[in-house]
Amino acid sequence: MSEIAKFAAGHDRMTKRHWLSAETRASIDRVQTILVYIILGAGAFLMVAPFLWMFTTSLRPTTEAFNLPPRWLPGFDATLESYQRLLSSGVPIGRFFMNSLTMSTAVTLGYVATTTIAGYAFARLRFPFKNALFVILLLSLMVPIQTTLVPLFLLMRGLGLVDSQWAIILPGLTGAFAPGMSGVFGIFMMRQFFLTLPKELFEAARVDGSNHFLTFWAVALPLARPQIAALSVIIFTMTWNDYFLPLIFLNSIDQMVLPVGIMSIREPVGNSSATSEVIAAVALSILPLLVVFLVAQRWIVDSFVRAGVKG
Amino acid sequence: MGDVKTAGWFAPQNRKETIAGLLFVLPALIGFVTFVAGPMIATLVISLMKYDLFSAPTFVGLKNFQRMFVDPRLWKAFGNTATFAVFAVLGNVGLGVVLAVLLNRRMPKALQYIYRAAYFFPSLVGLIFVAVLWQFMFQRDIGIINYYLGKIGIGPVSWLSSPQVALISVIILDVWKNVGFAMLIAIAGLQSISTDYYDAARVDGARGWRTFWQITVPLLSPTILFLITMNTIGAFKVFESIVVLTNGGPGDATRSLVMYIYEQGFKSFNMGYASAISLLLLGVIVIITTIQFVLSKRWTFYE
Repeated sequence: MSEIAKFAAGHDRMTKRHWLSAETRASIDRVQTILVYIILGAGAFLMVAPFLWMFTTSLRPTTEAFNLPPRWLPGFDATLESYQRLLSSGVPIGRFFMNSLTMSTAVTLGYVATTTIAGYAFARLRFPFKNALFVILLLSLMVPIQTTLVPLFLLMRGLGLVDSQWAIILPGLTGAFAPGMSGVFGIFMMRQFFLTLPKELFEAARVDGSNHFLTFWAVALPLARPQIAALSVIIFTMTWNDYFLPLIFLNSIDQMVLPVGIMSIREPVGNSSATSEVIAAVALSILPLLVVFLVAQRWIVDSFVRAGVKG
Repeated sequence: MGDVKTAGWFAPQNRKETIAGLLFVLPALIGFVTFVAGPMIATLVISLMKYDLFSAPTFVGLKNFQRMFVDPRLWKAFGNTATFAVFAVLGNVGLGVVLAVLLNRRMPKALQYIYRAAYFFPSLVGLIFVAVLWQFMFQRDIGIINYYLGKIGIGPVSWLSSPQVALISVIILDVWKNVGFAMLIAIAGLQSISTDYYDAARVDGARGWRTFWQITVPLLSPTILFLITMNTIGAFKVFESIVVLTNGGPGDATRSLVMYIYEQGFKSFNMGYASAISLLLLGVIVIITTIQFVLSKRWTFYE
C-alpha cells in the first residue's frame, strides 16, 4: 500500500469515528467507563467474598452456621460461640498460634540478618570467588525444596531435630531458606539495593578511617531500613503461611503451627455443628495477615513488585 | 571498589576488605552448603539407592529412574500437574494482564486503591487457610457456590467428587488466589511503558482493543514472559490446595507431582524413588527457566 493510500485509510477511520457528535462519543466513553467499574467491582467482590463468608459464618450460631442461604453480614444473632467452642475443645489453638508466632519471628530475624550482610558483601566488598559464588547461588534458585527434602529430613533426623521447630528455624537462621522462599531471594534483593547507593558514600567513610564493619553498620544499614522492613514482612508472611515444611518436620500436637494444626482438627465436612470451629480457626489464622496488610499495604505491594520485577 | 586489584587478596592494602567480605558471606555460605548444596548432592546419590529409612541403603544404580518410565501413577500425576499448569497459567497471566490494563486507566484514587487491595489480598494469605474455606464453598449440597448456581438453574455440580470437575475446582482456587499477584506485576510493567506510544496511537485513531494488542501486549512482553515462567514453575509445585480440596482424588484424578513425591517418600518410605522423581521436577524447572532465558533474549520487545 502506498503512503498516500495508507494515509487515506487512516483518515477514513478517523472521519468515521468523527461521524458521531462529540456528545455521543463522550457518553459512549462514560458508559464504557461505568461498565468497567462495575465489572471490576463484581470481580473485587468475588475476591473478598470467601473472607466475608468466613467472617460471617464464624459469627453465626454453631447449629445453623452452614444453613442456606448463606449470610454476608452478621445479623442480630451474631455470637462468638464458634470461637468459644474452639478454645474449649481441647485443641491447643493458642499453642498453635504461639508456635506460629515464635517460629515465624525467629526465621524472619535470622533470614533478614544473614541475607542482608551477605547481600552487602556481594554488592560492596571484594573477596575471592565472589562472582562464581554469586552465579552458583543464582542457579540454586531453580532447585525446589521438594528436590532436597529427603536429605534434609535425614539431616534433621541425624541432628535429632525432627518434631522440633529448630528443623525449620535453623535453615532460616542461616539464610539458607525460609519456608517457601530461597535465601538467595533475600541476598539478591539486598544486593540490588546496596548497589544503588552512591560509591562516594562508602569512600568518604573509608577515608575517615572507619573499618568495613563500621561502614556497614553506620552508613549502609540505616539507609536500608525500608528494604529490611519489606523483606521482613515478606518472609514473616511466607513462614506463617507455609504448610509443606511443618508437615514434614512437626508431628506432635505441641509442636504444630497453625496450618498443620488446622489440617489436624479438620472434621469431615458436612458435620456442620463441629466444623464452624474450623472456620473460626482459619479466621484467627488470617487475622494477623489482615492486620499486617492493612498497616503496611503500600509497602508490601511495592516490595512485592520490586522483588517480582527485578528478581 | 570496582577498581582492578593489583596485589593478592591478602596483601596488606587488601587484607581487611577480603577478610570482611569473607566474614560477611560466611553465615549464609554455611547455611547454603549445609541446607541447600549438600542436600542437592545427597539427592543425586540417594536417587541411586533403595532406602526405606529403617534398613541400610543399598545401591541400585539407575533402577529408580527405570521404574519412573513404567509407573503409570507417576505419569498420571505428571499429566494432571501439566494440565493444571497450562490452565492455571493461562488464567492467572491472562486475567492478571486484563485486570492490570483495566485498573491502570484513569479512575478515582480511592476506587483504584480499594480494587487493587481486594484483588491482591488473597495472594498474601496462606494457601492452606483459603483452601479450607473453598472446600466448604465447593461442597455439593451445603456449599454456597452450588447454592447460587442453583438460583440461575445450574447444577448441582460435584466440584470435588467428580473426576472431570475436581481439577477444574483446583484451577479455580489457584486463579482466585494468585491472579492479584500477576495483576500487580503487570501494573508495574504497564507503568514503565511510555505514554508517548498511546498518544501516538490515539492520533492515528487506534483505540480500545487495537491499542491493547498492538501496543500494550508487545511492550509488556518481557513482563508477560516473566509472569508465565514464574507461574508455570509455581504450578508444577502445586500441592497444598489439592491436599485440602481432594487429597488427590477421586482416584488419582487430581494427584500432583509433588503429592506423589511426598507420598513415595514419607508415606511409602521409598526415599530413593522419591528422590529420583524430585529430580524430574527439577528437570522441568530447569527446562522452563532455560526457555525463558533464551526467549527473553530473542523474542521480547524492549524499548
